[in-house]
Amino acid sequence: MIQWLMNIDRRIIFIFVFFGVALPLLSNVFLPIKPTRDVVAVYEELEKVAEAGGTVLLSFSYGASTVPEMQPMARAILRHCFSRDIKVVAVCLWPEAPGLAQQVLEEIGTEFGKTYGEDYAFLGYKPGNFSVVLNMGQDFHDAFPQDNWGTAIEDLPLTRNLRTLRDFDFVFDLAAGDSIEFWWIPYGQEKYGFPFAGGCTAVMAPDLFPFLQSRQMVGLLGGLAGAAEYETLVGKQDKATAGMSAQSMAHLIIVVFIVFGNIAFFLSRRR
Amino acid sequence: MTRDTYIFLALVLTFAFVNGVLLANGSLAADWNSLGIMVAAGLTLALYSFLYKDNPLFKAAENIYVGVAAAYVFGQYWYQTIYGEIFVRLKALGGEDSTQGDWWLLAPTLLGLLMLTRFSRRFGWLSRFSFAFFVGLGAGLTIPRTISSFILAQIEPTLQPLSWSVEGLNLLIILVGVVAVLVYFFFSVEHSGVVGKVSRVGIWFLMVSFGASFGYTIMARLSLLIGRVTFLLDDWLHLMTN
Amino acid sequence: MIFFSRMLPVVVAFCFGVLGIGIYYVPHAAAQNLERELALWLRIVFAFSYLLGLYSLLNLHWQRIRQRVAGWGYSVVVYVGFGLMMLFVVYNDGQGPFAAQAEGTAAENGYQWLFEYVHVACSSTMFSILAFFIASAAYRTFRARTPEAALLLVAAVVVMLGRVPIGAYISEYVPAAADWLLNVPNLAAKRGILLGVSLGAIATSLRIIFGIERSYLGGGEE
Repeated sequence: MIQWLMNIDRRIIFIFVFFGVALPLLSNVFLPIKPTRDVVAVYEELEKVAEAGGTVLLSFSYGASTVPEMQPMARAILRHCFSRDIKVVAVCLWPEAPGLAQQVLEEIGTEFGKTYGEDYAFLGYKPGNFSVVLNMGQDFHDAFPQDNWGTAIEDLPLTRNLRTLRDFDFVFDLAAGDSIEFWWIPYGQEKYGFPFAGGCTAVMAPDLFPFLQSRQMVGLLGGLAGAAEYETLVGKQDKATAGMSAQSMAHLIIVVFIVFGNIAFFLSRRR
Repeated sequence: MTRDTYIFLALVLTFAFVNGVLLANGSLAADWNSLGIMVAAGLTLALYSFLYKDNPLFKAAENIYVGVAAAYVFGQYWYQTIYGEIFVRLKALGGEDSTQGDWWLLAPTLLGLLMLTRFSRRFGWLSRFSFAFFVGLGAGLTIPRTISSFILAQIEPTLQPLSWSVEGLNLLIILVGVVAVLVYFFFSVEHSGVVGKVSRVGIWFLMVSFGASFGYTIMARLSLLIGRVTFLLDDWLHLMTN
Repeated sequence: MIFFSRMLPVVVAFCFGVLGIGIYYVPHAAAQNLERELALWLRIVFAFSYLLGLYSLLNLHWQRIRQRVAGWGYSVVVYVGFGLMMLFVVYNDGQGPFAAQAEGTAAENGYQWLFEYVHVACSSTMFSILAFFIASAAYRTFRARTPEAALLLVAAVVVMLGRVPIGAYISEYVPAAADWLLNVPNLAAKRGILLGVSLGAIATSLRIIFGIERSYLGGGEE
């Protein structure tokens, strides 16, 4: 029995994981979510920007592989910005990001009746990783002379007077790679000192805690859980919140498997 | 035909049947978006078939993705930079309003073109200038920023005044942890005696950190699975009630 | 010839490296303008580097097709996917390749349609497959064989439960414990790693600037 438990067919585990995810989604159960300190800090910073009538730079640094984690986060942040009439300038530092940014900007922009060019602008992708941040810091118009559709940003009312990164009241990076840690902090935040925060995949989140304590980052949204917490703060339950029951159940199943595996291991060793 | 072939044929037929039902009952319409949802669902299931075993459906989906991804990214480079920036600005040099052009842009364009000589056996050495520029400048830009952003900015919050409080205790633990981890990674002295004990404390901190990273990694992968299962159950099959 | 092919690139790296360090510490407008110009140059050169990668990928699959190696048919599929997407890149919703990217949602624009329903679907599914394997691997290999392994295991379990809503159902201390683990011992370890990596990055950068590290030049006879 113990031997069977230890050598269980991996496909049985796969079935448990699949149903652990699918059943809570089908049952449509919403678990109460308590936002953590770092997520609340992002919310409060955006509230400050709203009170000052400011402009936010939203950097899309993620690709298609992390859409289920990052897209709900982008939606929640944009909902907060647009509901509080914060102007948003979106740029992409990841080559797959423009299609995703376009999707979410159009969706949330339409939801709040925002006007392109006045309330938000989409400047598309520029290759170069950290050098784009460096370039934006020195001369924003040099880094992004045109928006995603070829219109000169000089001709857009929102971007006309944004000359450097200092002109933004808040910068938020949605990251699936090392853009927060190795592009935005050393090449942007360090020199220009703007309030900076990020949302990242759960894989990256533990690496960013040193920057929270050093206050190089105002706050952090980590993975789908971070997105769900932000949805709670914004007051709109969306895909991230819906996914939290499935996330909880799947975590529980894996923990149970780990415990069983260890019990079987210790019993087999004793024999 | 083998048993697996029958299984896969049955799956393909079931997929076609389900789409037929969805179209017939109006869950999916006869438009581009619905076609897209059906294609995406088919590709998702083809990729998940790998969980049973490696098979041609999985490989075909995997390879079509590679091709589409490469061309999509090319599109982004083309519209925004190669055409939208280099081509347009260089073209303006020869135009009537030459102020729109940028003579300096010739230099990085030349460096970029030299990079492409890497394909040639005879002229491949010319690409070294492009790499030298890129790597050399990158190295130069990195040094001062690493010192200020990662070393000075990280040491400062580590060395804060301690106090008799929970925060003070946490600060002390952070200080001990940072020092112990640095000692663990310092291989120039033998890890024995006091150094060995301190480095062992470093290992404990590292283990907690790796555990946290592992927990978060599981969380990330499951989030992706939740996203895809939501797509299949909601966008494709319309089974979720929200 | 050796001077041009091996020495001169090292001199170029040295000059731009020193320039990169220098402009950081000089607040004069000229230095700042130079930094802006060099950042633009980096961006442009970076854009060309993608073409290198693309050639490498297409050439690899072309060689597989040409030599009829096992599974060469899948390389044809790569070309089919590439060709299909390239059609939309060139067509650009009727505007042609020498125009800015055409607007339009997935229903109106083939480029966006293929991205949303093929690229995004495949990419996120590929990575989500790992959820199954990571669960299986956790069951098989995550054993508390030593005190260190036990520490790792406990930290992982606490974080897994503490960062999702179910943790609070089990006990209010679970999220608090996860929070403490992340903000104190995890932070300390990550900071230690970051400091070590930073010192290593500085050392490597100096080796590049002074021509000790030359692997970026590649091999070759000359």
